[in-house]
Amino acid sequence: MPSWQDFQPFLVTGLALGGVYALSGVGLVVLYQATGVVYLAFGAVGAMGALITWSMISDGIANWLCWLACLAFSGVVTLAYGITFGPLLAKRDPLVKATATLGLLLVLFGVMDLLWTTSGGESRAITLPTDNGGFSIAQIQVTWTQVIGLAVGVVIAAGTAAFLRYTKLGTAMRAMANDREITATLGVPVRRVEAAAWLGCGLLAGVAGLLLADMVALDATTLTFLVISSLAAALIARLRSIALTFAAAIVIGVVQNMLVPINAVSNYNDMTPFVLAAIALLVLSRRQVLSRAREDT
Amino acid sequence: MIVVKDLTVRFGGVTSLDRMSVTFETGTCGLIGPNGAGKTTFFNVLSGFVRPSGGTVTAFGDNLLSMVHYRRARWGVRRTFQTEQAIEELSVYDNVAMVQEHSHRGSSRRDDVLSAISFVGLDVDPRSRVQSLGAGQRRLVEVARAVAGRPRLVLLDEPAAGLPDAETENLAAVIRQIPARTGALTILVDHDMSLVSACCETTAVLDFGELIASGPTADVLRDERVVSAYLGTEAA
Amino acid sequence: MLETTEVAASARHRAPLRRPATGTLVRAVVIVALLLFALLALPQLLSLYYVDAMTEVAIYAVVSLGLGVLVGRVGLVSLGQIAVLAIGAWVAARLLFATTQPYPLVLLEAGLITMAIGTIIGLPALRLRGLYLALLTLMVAGALAIVLASTNFPNGGHGFLGYNGSLINIPPIRRPSIATNDPAYYRYAVVVAILMFLLVFVHIRTKPGRAWSAIRQSEPAALAAGINTTMYKLWAFALASFVTGVAGGVYAGAAHYLYSIDFPAQNSIILLAVVLMGGAYSLWGAVVAGLLSQLLPALLNNWGVSNDWLTILFGIGVVQVLTTAPRGLADQVPKDLARLGRLLLRLATKPTEATAEGTANTAEGTANTAESEAP
Repeated sequence: MPSWQDFQPFLVTGLALGGVYALSGVGLVVLYQATGVVYLAFGAVGAMGALITWSMISDGIANWLCWLACLAFSGVVTLAYGITFGPLLAKRDPLVKATATLGLLLVLFGVMDLLWTTSGGESRAITLPTDNGGFSIAQIQVTWTQVIGLAVGVVIAAGTAAFLRYTKLGTAMRAMANDREITATLGVPVRRVEAAAWLGCGLLAGVAGLLLADMVALDATTLTFLVISSLAAALIARLRSIALTFAAAIVIGVVQNMLVPINAVSNYNDMTPFVLAAIALLVLSRRQVLSRAREDT
Repeated sequence: MIVVKDLTVRFGGVTSLDRMSVTFETGTCGLIGPNGAGKTTFFNVLSGFVRPSGGTVTAFGDNLLSMVHYRRARWGVRRTFQTEQAIEELSVYDNVAMVQEHSHRGSSRRDDVLSAISFVGLDVDPRSRVQSLGAGQRRLVEVARAVAGRPRLVLLDEPAAGLPDAETENLAAVIRQIPARTGALTILVDHDMSLVSACCETTAVLDFGELIASGPTADVLRDERVVSAYLGTEAA
Repeated sequence: MLETTEVAASARHRAPLRRPATGTLVRAVVIVALLLFALLALPQLLSLYYVDAMTEVAIYAVVSLGLGVLVGRVGLVSLGQIAVLAIGAWVAARLLFATTQPYPLVLLEAGLITMAIGTIIGLPALRLRGLYLALLTLMVAGALAIVLASTNFPNGGHGFLGYNGSLINIPPIRRPSIATNDPAYYRYAVVVAILMFLLVFVHIRTKPGRAWSAIRQSEPAALAAGINTTMYKLWAFALASFVTGVAGGVYAGAAHYLYSIDFPAQNSIILLAVVLMGGAYSLWGAVVAGLLSQLLPALLNNWGVSNDWLTILFGIGVVQVLTTAPRGLADQVPKDLARLGRLLLRLATKPTEATAEGTANTAEGTANTAESEAP
């Protein structure tokens, strides 16, 4: 059994990653509440944004412009998808809505492989300037990027919770989660609120994409399917509670990373989000037949 | 005879049924009440989709609530739904035969299914798909399914909803004959008072999950409490 | 009056049940003819490259069949069928290395064991609402994929896992003695596929098929009709897992060597895409799905076009099918097929120049139609 010293760096990585999972999870939850869509293409759109950033950096464009491009891309693509297909699928079962986002995932996946082929052996990387600086707490090395990862997670979670509670737009989103039709009859500009949710989610996808590309790998497949870790956190929170999403995300990140130094389970540490989410889903399944039928109409 | 005692259903803060106690004796009984009174919830309890927080239902001596939902059909509960639920891609025959198919009573069922189809007055080829039928005919398919086999408790949930008058009259004639043909106790929920008067000897009235009146239909429809519960609605 | 109608109705009903209509007979003859052609003539006509591709088509047609039962018949979405395929392949490979059992027996065992695993996972999952069930399958598949990446596929080693990491000369997974070369194995695969399709066909035409129809339309109504919905949903899971497990066994023999990168996560999504595009409801749809996911890439590869265009096409196809499908995921006539047919025609006549242009135009055309067809 490894010593506490051996665990420390993984605790740090875990917290940082957990923070990014949290910000992604919050994005997923808010979008689901406002539109009923589980945005499975969240990772893919962030991945492509990160690849665009990499290309631009390689071309010598100023860093901050490249990062902005990532956010812009993710935001615009998500928004475009949302306002095009959101209304078309608005009355359908959440399963149909979520499956449709898989279509977007495939399109992005194909485009990414086309434009940035993975074969050829060259590995790409994004390094943020904050990778280099850092400090130590009690002999643990922490980079600024990791701090940002955790900090962004905290800020987004807290900020979104406050946004949903205290702003007009946020309250509208909560109302729509409850009942879209009634909210519309109350004079809330439903389409505009949804568009705001889509855009916000897209921007978060861009931020997450950049951070994960830096912290994990700049690889289309890896980044696309990292959404599952955030999704796991969101599911544990029943796609409802921001606070729970944050907590779950941190736990997932920490546990996943802390398992790495334990040799016996090291290969299986990536199973953490899957296993936790599966358990959460099964525990969720105390529902009656009828409530399901009612919610589906 | 169905004896309901102190039936209570609570959904997260809302009490749909509040210590409801009523006895349905025999024949066709009406169950009316304003929207949200709990009629569909009551049917859902009887069908097994909703578990009550308290109370008992004794049907012909058997404890209905102890049976799992899909077993109640085998016991003899038959139910129609507000939005028609005949299975579109299956034929009329397959739809009506469905209950028996899952009650393991194979042999004599063909004649029974066909006679149920003609009993409700459905004059179409039994092999035709329900998809090709109109709304009124689909409703009849559901009623046929309800009377096929050996039903003991038939629950009709707003069978006339959305039907034009002529078809409603036709339906009323069919419903009136159900107890005679099957020996089952029929409970009819509907907002169409003329239908209820035409079919039901006795009627119970729900309001806010409580029973506020029950007895011979004509008396109940004239009862002051019932009229005021329907305040704003025409009690035809 | 009532009596005569009864008698007439029963007379009308009883007789025709025995005699199949001419339309059905014609269709049966056509299907048999096509199958005979595929079995006997096709291997002679195609190069080995395409024979191998068609073997994959047979395999994935069966996998699509399984998913089609779940999605098209019962209305359940599984995002992890490729993991199920991998399990089937793993079991078959292990048995083929460890025993000298005849191939059909190994396939059967692979199917049964995969079925058992699928049922065990399915049982607690079935209470979940559609969306959550789909996500659960995604999670379980993801976990399984990680386990497989660690345990690897059997390669002739010893022990339960049958994997020896330091083996230099890895023995190939054996094939049935009657079908060792590729064309013969192709025929073998087609025969197995036909048997799986027959198995599903029988299910659909009898009691479980009718129960699934009822469940898909409305679960409360199905329960009210006395159908034990949990049991029938589990049965669908079991059937889908069984056929997919068998397909995994066929895959093991086809590939000779198995690696976990053969079963990437996105393939489960692509599988769902082609099943939706081919039509989840019909058995033909499964064949189309197999062609889409295995033959098209082979064709494109041969013509120097990247498979990524297909991935993009499939993505658009998913959205198209879902936005235009009248009710849920079981669509009857997928419009994408017509477009695909036209594209293939164009590619066949002008292989090199038209490819990139044609695919882009079709993709754009599909996207435009999807937007303009807003209800």
